[in-house]
Amino acid sequence: MDLLLGSIAAGIVLGMVIALVALGLTIIFGVMEIVNFAHGEFLMVGMYTGLLTAQATGTDPIFTLPVAAIVGFLLGVICYAGFIKFLIRGPMVAQLLGTFGLMLFLRNLALLIFGSSDRTVHHGILVGKSFDIGMGIILPATKAAAAGLSVIAFLAVWLLMNRTKIGKALTATALNAQAARYMGIPTEKMNALAWGIGGGSVTVAGALIVNFWAVNPFMGLLFTMIAFTVVALGGFGSVPGAFFAGLVVGLIMEIPGFWDFFTYTFDWPWMADVPMTSLKYMWIYVAYFVITVIRPRGLFGWKH
Amino acid sequence: METLKNAVDFSDFPRIDLVIAGAVAFLFLIFPLFSASSFAMATMIQFFMFSLYGMGWNTIGGYGGQVDLGKAQYVGIGAYTTAVMLLRWDIPFWVSMPVGMGIAVIWSFIIGYPLFRLKGHYFAIATIATSLVLKDLFTVWSFVGAARGLEISPITYPPPDYMRLIFKEDIYYYYLILGFFFLGLLYMNWFRKSRLGFQLRCIKDNEDMARSLGINVHWAKIKTYAIATAFVSMVGSFHVCYIKVIEPVDIMSLDLSILIALMAMLGGAGSLWGPIIGAGVLIPLRSYLKEWLGAAAGLVGIDLIFYALIIMIVSAFEPRGIWGIVEKVRRRKRR
Repeated sequence: MDLLLGSIAAGIVLGMVIALVALGLTIIFGVMEIVNFAHGEFLMVGMYTGLLTAQATGTDPIFTLPVAAIVGFLLGVICYAGFIKFLIRGPMVAQLLGTFGLMLFLRNLALLIFGSSDRTVHHGILVGKSFDIGMGIILPATKAAAAGLSVIAFLAVWLLMNRTKIGKALTATALNAQAARYMGIPTEKMNALAWGIGGGSVTVAGALIVNFWAVNPFMGLLFTMIAFTVVALGGFGSVPGAFFAGLVVGLIMEIPGFWDFFTYTFDWPWMADVPMTSLKYMWIYVAYFVITVIRPRGLFGWKH
Repeated sequence: METLKNAVDFSDFPRIDLVIAGAVAFLFLIFPLFSASSFAMATMIQFFMFSLYGMGWNTIGGYGGQVDLGKAQYVGIGAYTTAVMLLRWDIPFWVSMPVGMGIAVIWSFIIGYPLFRLKGHYFAIATIATSLVLKDLFTVWSFVGAARGLEISPITYPPPDYMRLIFKEDIYYYYLILGFFFLGLLYMNWFRKSRLGFQLRCIKDNEDMARSLGINVHWAKIKTYAIATAFVSMVGSFHVCYIKVIEPVDIMSLDLSILIALMAMLGGAGSLWGPIIGAGVLIPLRSYLKEWLGAAAGLVGIDLIFYALIIMIVSAFEPRGIWGIVEKVRRRKRR
């Protein structure tokens, strides 16, 4: 039982961070219907930013969030103005491959600069500490802090989207860009802003994740797929959907933990033979496939 | 007979194209006579393999307009079938290749049926997802060597072995893949004029209209997907005999899938020459960039940075590829 509760808690905590990762993707897709394959690479940029800033200033990576947000915002805006603006005029094939090119570019730039080795945070006020809540739930302090701050960042973006004029303008652009332009909304700027917010939120998530996840130049694809799954489940373009889908995907990522629980509970020998930890990420891809085939709109989708 | 006539009939191309194509084909035939380095030879073999992959992708991605980014799984199925059958039961290439094609086509039907209910990005990402699932499964499946993969040792099979395709010199592989290349080209020439080819182009332009004309859109896509799969899996079987080592992370990687799609798109998706031109530009570029910048200068990853820049520039400014530019110039001249 402890094992089960522990897995559920770990899944939910991870899910909160994952929701923030996917938020940027869903905003960008909602506003301009382009799927950003480089999303995981944006996250990687955020992770390196957090790590390097923390190492340079000697502080905890938690305090580097503003730097990561600024870097992410600039990265998003630069990518939009310098590349995506030209890309969206072309057909869908070109858009897919174009953002894939962006992904390859960022990944190999990171490889060139930082090398291929894993890097982790070794110092910091939270590293190594944990809360024991009881009933088998042990929360590492880094993960708990990341989850809490993710929820705060998520709420901030949600408020920005729903309670401010800028958010209304963004939503208008998403619903009907042409009509928004007639109403005097600078849609071109709104697109850039969507990329900025998308980039900023994902780099913040990166700076949070780097506390408990090693960073290397190749880790982007996994998170891109995770983000796609979250966004497909929550509905492309839906912000609240991304949050609930994030929690579900967090639990999916804990499937090996559940598997262990069932193995011990029922004591079936064949279950122990399945190399479940190696298949950890497979369930995300399976989930994506099943979700899109069964319900392409997702849980909260308003657009497809 | 009619089919054969259609396959060898290139008369709808301008004469200048045919002259160039003939000259290039002749150069391919005599290339090994004055081949300087084994590196150039290996690059040429890679070029043929990738133009065949690209041709396979071109059926569904180019003519059909369905962006498939999961072709690596079929490369993997073909390659693994050949390698496993050879290593476990000593079954030669010429038997295992059709078997691999069969397995790949069956798998393509199984996942193609739900896949083609999706459209646009959903479809593209779902193909990636299926490919990655298969890769993860092969990484843990000990029957096929799990993460370590399989290795065909040339010591066990003394070269030249025409049945199992184990050769010492690259020249054998060169002419074999050249034969496949010409056959593939003829098949593609037939395909683009076949009933299915016309149906696909109609689907690409307007799916609802295609349906109203009585085309079974779903079934046409699945059939084409199976054709593309058979192509890719066949070359996958050859691939493993040529490189002799397979690992799931390598042969089923997303990078390979993207490379295949990219090649067809750079050359010009939906045209007969597109994948060949694309492979002819990208493969030598990739090999030599890697050799000069990556290995010689010690800058890991810089070759792929250039590569990524090319992808970005092409997709942003000339999404119809090199063949698109050629056609644009021609249209302007005609006026």
